[in-house]
Amino acid sequence: MIPPQVFGLLQTGVSVIVGTRDSALMPESTRAWGIHIATDRASVTIFLTEAISQKTLQNLRENGLVAISCTRPTDHVACQLKGRLRTIRPAGQADRDHSKSWHRDFAGELVAIGVPPDLCEAWITEPALAIEIDVTDVFHQTPGPGAGEKV
Amino acid sequence: MGDGRPQLADLWPCFQGIIPAALSTCAQDGTPNVTFISQIHYVDPSHVAISHQFFNKTHRNVRENPSACAMMLDPRTLQAYRLYLHYQYSESSGRLFDSMSLQLQAIASHAGMTDVFRLRAADVYEVLRIDIVEGFTRLPPSPISERPSRLFVDQDLESLRLMAERLNRSEALSDLLDHSLELLDELFGFHHAMILLTDEPGGKLFTIASRGYPENGVGSEVGIGEGLIGMVARARRALRLSAIDHSLRYARAVRDCAQAAQGSEAACREIPLPGLARAAGQIAVPLVTRSRLVGVLAVESTEPLAFMSREDTILTIVATQLATSIDHLSRDTEESSPSAAAKPKSGRAAGQPSRGRHFCFFHQDDCMFVDGEYLIRNVPGRILWRLLTRQRDEGQREFTNRELRMDSWLGLPEIKDNLESRLILLRKRLEQKCPDVRLVPRGRGRFALETDVPVELAEKET
Repeated sequence: MIPPQVFGLLQTGVSVIVGTRDSALMPESTRAWGIHIATDRASVTIFLTEAISQKTLQNLRENGLVAISCTRPTDHVACQLKGRLRTIRPAGQADRDHSKSWHRDFAGELVAIGVPPDLCEAWITEPALAIEIDVTDVFHQTPGPGAGEKV
Repeated sequence: MGDGRPQLADLWPCFQGIIPAALSTCAQDGTPNVTFISQIHYVDPSHVAISHQFFNKTHRNVRENPSACAMMLDPRTLQAYRLYLHYQYSESSGRLFDSMSLQLQAIASHAGMTDVFRLRAADVYEVLRIDIVEGFTRLPPSPISERPSRLFVDQDLESLRLMAERLNRSEALSDLLDHSLELLDELFGFHHAMILLTDEPGGKLFTIASRGYPENGVGSEVGIGEGLIGMVARARRALRLSAIDHSLRYARAVRDCAQAAQGSEAACREIPLPGLARAAGQIAVPLVTRSRLVGVLAVESTEPLAFMSREDTILTIVATQLATSIDHLSRDTEESSPSAAAKPKSGRAAGQPSRGRHFCFFHQDDCMFVDGEYLIRNVPGRILWRLLTRQRDEGQREFTNRELRMDSWLGLPEIKDNLESRLILLRKRLEQKCPDVRLVPRGRGRFALETDVPVELAEKET
């Protein structure tokens, strides 16, 4: 269950990065194009493009373990979700709408910290896969003494 | 980009801390972790460093499982790169740590968070592989040639900086001389080097420090205009001889042979100049400050191609600072209060039987011999005679530079007397030839004469 304070954070334009690992415990990093919380608040959907996330998708299919870090650029408030893969499917219209809505908020955050607007439009976010993750743990990740504590 | 993969230095825009990097690690139990890193620091062509400030899962994970993966973005085009890393070690002191720590402190202080942000360690990772991530951005990549070299400090430039900082900390002339030769050796690979200072009344140069020679040659003299060193002193221009040809080596062999025939230095009252028998390359650089020659810095190598323009340039830069510092520290005559007397250390090798030392001073040429061997002459010879007779007649053991300057018999010039360098010369000659009689510094402008054995004095006119 995603706690209320994290729920609020994840509905803003957070930067979403994803960590997985292979069978040799070699980690892999990638970026996701948005995060959407399911109504039961026990799972999230992230959007990945195959072009930049091949190894991540392979790791997810093999062992399902994932870490997702979400940071709000304007104030560095951050959390990390640990979870396990539920499904991978091509993004449908609803998913694309979620991703576009996130992209708008994220671009707003970036412009607020001085990033040129045209740079915010340069990302290739489609075609995307929708990755459903069962959230198992949530940690504080805002830089400071409390970082790393369970929420 | 020879094999299509970028070099670490090609990623220079990613190291500026403009877009945070994503760093993933994995615990031993297989749980992945991912976090933003505000700045990944470039260390060298195959290493990066990451700061460790707070409790940190990354820091803990890589100690269990050293693998890590960083995704970095070029802030100009959003071109993405993946770096596959292997954690190697952690530093909590040293240059890398200091520079990262200072940067963090400045940011923390700016944000009023000095107590919260504190660098605990700099974790250093080896870069195993760099992948270009295609399909991330619509913008075309910036050409590699746009890399401005000013972001990566050349190793020589870095070494020159280190040298400048270290020399600038020298408090005494002897430290300055010893440090500069040590650093020329360690930082730049000049393994055989010497520093000569001018002796203005005599129109000569005398060796005050050397490194990398079997005999240190301290006290050896070169006339202005004589040989490479003397010519450089006269012309006040640096000179490099590369691949010294056979004839020059032949000339040196003749000289060595002639010296051998003359017998030891005791007979000729001269100390041989340090030199490599098989020197194939030499550079001599004048030490000039405010248009005044203070000495010469000279290096040698047995490799014919060891010295090129790079070496000239480095030595010329070092010589500039060295000349100014020598001049400054030679003039520094202010006396400090006497420091606590150091425990006299015996210069005698363990088990060596105690025996006396016989000093003989020749008034005509101010020459001092010890146990029948030439020791030193001119002003340093007179100084030693004065110290030894004062000790014998009045029991005086501690002396000041000031009283030597006031002693008209020593004949020190009123302006620019080089007293400090003459005392260094005397101290080093004693260390070499007669270690049981020593000049021991006792703070600035003060020193003690220490003797471990009975000293016998004699004087002769010629």
